Amino acid sequence: GGGPPGAPYGQPPPGGPYGGGAAPGGPYGGPGPYGGAAPGGNAPPGVDPEAFSWFQAVDADHSGYISVKELKQALLNSNWSTFNDETCLLMINMFDKTRSGRIDVYGFSALLRFIQQWKNLFQQYDRDQSGSISFSELQQAFSQMGYNLSPQFSQLLLSRYAQRSSNPSIQLDRFIQICMQLQSTTDAFREKDTGLVGNVRLSYEDFLTMVMTRMM
Amino acid sequence: MAFPGQPVPGGGFYQGGYGGAPGGPAFPGQAQDPLYGYFAAVAGQDGQIDADELQRCLTQSGIAGAYKPFNLETCRLMISMLDRDMSGTLGFNEFKELWAVVNGWKQHFVSFDNDRSGTVDRQELEKALMNMGFRLSPQAVTAITRRYSTRGKITFDDYIACCVKLRALTECFRRRDASQQGFVNFQYDDFIQCVMSI
Repeated sequence: GGGPPGAPYGQPPPGGPYGGGAAPGGPYGGPGPYGGAAPGGNAPPGVDPEAFSWFQAVDADHSGYISVKELKQALLNSNWSTFNDETCLLMINMFDKTRSGRIDVYGFSALLRFIQQWKNLFQQYDRDQSGSISFSELQQAFSQMGYNLSPQFSQLLLSRYAQRSSNPSIQLDRFIQICMQLQSTTDAFREKDTGLVGNVRLSYEDFLTMVMTRMM
Repeated sequence: MAFPGQPVPGGGFYQGGYGGAPGGPAFPGQAQDPLYGYFAAVAGQDGQIDADELQRCLTQSGIAGAYKPFNLETCRLMISMLDRDMSGTLGFNEFKELWAVVNGWKQHFVSFDNDRSGTVDRQELEKALMNMGFRLSPQAVTAITRRYSTRGKITFDDYIACCVKLRALTECFRRRDASQQGFVNFQYDDFIQCVMSI
């Protein structure tokens, strides 16, 4: 079914994309093998000293930039698995101003705030605090985010993103991946749906272009 | 309109599809099929394989040849490309279909990888996509090559991932274009589900 008339789309997550606050710690998205922050003197202007010391720890080859591979090592799910490649790539692309496939300390600092924002939401939707999001919790999350999506869709996402088990659920990295892709798919659709009717007519070529340029 | 899928040498579409029940020998001689050996070695009682098992299966079958075996995300993509019942797994018939399609793409890749480096450059990727019949706008081609290349080179695994996505999207579109006009009216919900199921 569709949403209420004139409002076929969901809302973006509450709050701006860049909150304030300290770098994530604890069992979610923690610093991984690097443990606590190293002494972080000489942070560039405007960069949080904690973010800066974390940047230095993650930038393993001291290139002044963080690659997808380096980022992956720094981010952990609640089950101690590292963030998956796709999510790291999506996030790097989001904060990479130079389109070089890596981010500098400013991009990294913004990325940390971004992750913190999503981590907060994730913990909110993880009602039983299991460290991962189940089918019903996912349904609820979508509903609270303003998306009107079918249970079948949530089921599809679970089968696609969760590990095969009797009770499949989604870790933080895939939750971020799903939400980022939902947003970007919605944006792509909205761009074409100038009349806001919830329906677009697409040629095959337009369809491929829309998806391949956005959903990377 | 013609979708990519007219059989072309090493083409992007495979018009196979065997009959029979999912999993287990469906016709005499299937058990002797070498592919069935690889499949049965990893599939459980349910006769289905998930992404991990597919990765093992493809590696053992040697389809990647001299190239590095596929990464897990690519295997997941391959499953979603053929996973018609949306179970997240493949039965033997689907696996066979996959194997044939991937083999076709591989032949294509090999024909471009003249120095056997395991990578092709952006122009070669563009040519390969065109040869497979994917009519893409210049922006789409730019976005694709940017996304899939590292330092100007595209690896075999990434190339396969790209082909899988394009094919899955094409299937998605084609299923909704019953009259084959080359246009589809997408409802928002359907569009989201279509794109995110890949």
